[in-house]
Amino acid sequence: MQPEGQSQQVQILMSNTETIPGRTIGQSLGVVTGSTVRAKHIGKDILAGLKNIVGGELKGYTELLQEARAQALQRMVADAAKRGANAVVNVRFATSSVAGGAAELFAYGTAVLLQ
Amino acid sequence: MDEKTIDLIVIIGMISFTFGPFLFSWIFGNWYQKSKQKALVEREAAFGGDPLTTLRTAPEATTESGLLVANIIMSVSWWQGMIGGIHSIFGGTITTWDKTLSWGRQEAMQRLREQCRDSGYDSVINMRLDTSEIASSKGKTKALEIVAYGTGIKL
Repeated sequence: MQPEGQSQQVQILMSNTETIPGRTIGQSLGVVTGSTVRAKHIGKDILAGLKNIVGGELKGYTELLQEARAQALQRMVADAAKRGANAVVNVRFATSSVAGGAAELFAYGTAVLLQ
Repeated sequence: MDEKTIDLIVIIGMISFTFGPFLFSWIFGNWYQKSKQKALVEREAAFGGDPLTTLRTAPEATTESGLLVANIIMSVSWWQGMIGGIHSIFGGTITTWDKTLSWGRQEAMQRLREQCRDSGYDSVINMRLDTSEIASSKGKTKALEIVAYGTGIKL
């Protein structure tokens, strides 16, 4: 999954393992984070409420969180790029629901410089 | 109309407004969820093999890798929610939530598999599953997000 808006010159690799498979880590540049808080559109909220009668997947929310997660990743990558890293390893996600219907999506990982 | 007929209409009206949505939810919810589950089982069968692993190390021959993320938001129907509520009074297994969650996980994993195939990776290592609660602004819609993520590798 490549976050949108990532610049073409600096291709930042991401992985949720300790290393980038097939590459060697030269230097660690610390923890990078990215977060975003998103609330649902009221129309979508009502639609989801109706959809809830039959249960199953709530597509509107799925898409919303997908976009939000992509943005959190993009911010994390931007942070890594600022530090001059070319990869982020051990990426983790966290989600928490903050005040009334908004969700915080959080992505973090270790920025590294590959050899 | 005499008073008795009006009373009867009012009572029937009250009952159908209270239980009507639940009846609707029971009939259509079951039908809808079953059809979706059937589609998922078919997709899984058509995919064949399983590229997902929870191993933390990649094979030596890996040439390329990238992060893959798939998610789904699941909720129970009104009917299932009510049954779940009754279940939770007595304790024990709450079958409705139980089924919905396991189905949600299966779906999220299938989406990760499809994403792995679509982005041209051969397998996924270090797959992780996370669950978190999503509440609506009115606090009525209880939904759960299931996210499956891992590192796709090309051999």
